[in-house]
Amino acid sequence: MRIGYMNCNSEKETLERFRPLTRYLSQQLGVDFEVVPVDTQDFPERFAAGEFEFTHTNSLVYLILHEEDQLQLLATEKRGRYGTHTSGSIISRKGSGIRTLADLKDKRMVFGPQLAPSGFLAQYDLLLRAGIDPETDIAYYAIPSGSFKHEKVVYGVYFGKFDVGAAPSLDLELMVGDGKIQADDFNIIAESPIIPYCTFGARKDLDPQLVEKFRQTLVQLTQDATVEFEGENLKVLASAWVDGYETLADSDYDLLREMARRANMPPYQKF
Amino acid sequence: MIRRDRFDLLLFALLLGCVLVLGLLLLKGQAPTGSGARIDKALEQQIAYQARVNFLHNLYQPVEQLRQKGQLAAALLKLDELARKYPQEAHGEILRGEILLKRKAVKQAIDHFVRAVRLNGDYVDQASPLSRYPEIQGLVEAQLPVFRQRAKSNPQSQSLQNTLTGLYYLQSRLAGGCE
Repeated sequence: MRIGYMNCNSEKETLERFRPLTRYLSQQLGVDFEVVPVDTQDFPERFAAGEFEFTHTNSLVYLILHEEDQLQLLATEKRGRYGTHTSGSIISRKGSGIRTLADLKDKRMVFGPQLAPSGFLAQYDLLLRAGIDPETDIAYYAIPSGSFKHEKVVYGVYFGKFDVGAAPSLDLELMVGDGKIQADDFNIIAESPIIPYCTFGARKDLDPQLVEKFRQTLVQLTQDATVEFEGENLKVLASAWVDGYETLADSDYDLLREMARRANMPPYQKF
Repeated sequence: MIRRDRFDLLLFALLLGCVLVLGLLLLKGQAPTGSGARIDKALEQQIAYQARVNFLHNLYQPVEQLRQKGQLAAALLKLDELARKYPQEAHGEILRGEILLKRKAVKQAIDHFVRAVRLNGDYVDQASPLSRYPEIQGLVEAQLPVFRQRAKSNPQSQSLQNTLTGLYYLQSRLAGGCE
């Protein structure tokens, strides 16, 4: 059995974070699970091709797979101040004079990757709802290349390469917590409503008992759970940078669906 | 038997006198006792408490200002920054709970209220200037039925069980129960 893990920042990071958790799942379920790191853009295609049975993706990719392949919702990851949820922020450098959405017109903006719910979609939707069309009303927008795009967005604004940035609120929280940036370095021009965070899913035709056991194992995980991995006894959740898992209803993702529809993004994109 | 002369008696009398004087001096030199001492102690505690309240007010003033301006995301970031220096401060937990509640992150808000009250019971003491009694009471009344149902529907979820236990804990503290 294979679990496809969406690369959040890089393949290396994905493997480091999720191999201990996968070993734990294998031990608890008596199934030999294999970690498959997958680039976000390739995820729907590789899932459709049957390359993995279980999925760990951001909430927007979950929506796409649920819509196109009836992916089953298993558990939602908890990390950061909003737990199972997260949000997107629009930031500018303190002292730039850009304090409101109305100030954004004709400014240079940097977004996160296009399929990032809290690094692209949430902010794109915020702009549209404020009457600003990102395609026509700002000077231009860019998306950083390579890995660690969200941090690049924050630093891009911090060092003045861009006037405004679309940063996941979780990344801002973590960077302030680590002392990489100060809360006073930025104006938070707007923050989106909270939307579900990363999500585990299962292919529709899997053994229901296995799927239920997988879900139960995740939601029963506590901070104390450990696993033997490469000669070390590791804390499962801490090694995955996760606070825990919870069961949400598919309807909890409806707000995100509305955002995707308004922004004309997958799985509701119309040409 | 040893005979004592007048000189011995004089020395004995002087020695007795010294012991009495020393005893009196010792009694006089002690801290005030009874109600006077209690008043001083109570005053000291009040001054220390007031100083603490003022300190918290000043420390978290930037958070309050951002919150009043509706800049909730910036207020939360400021709290993250302050938590680096004061990670166990109950007031930060209370403010975080209030802001998260406003952001509709109800479960997380409850968890922070519980942590705050565990750290400092003043937040459920109606006489305290730090009191959040009505807010916490409103939260418990509104959310206890919701989380009872959620925990019942998801019996495996340790996290939901913890939040429900937290709500019961708040209910008990509001009723005046001890830990």
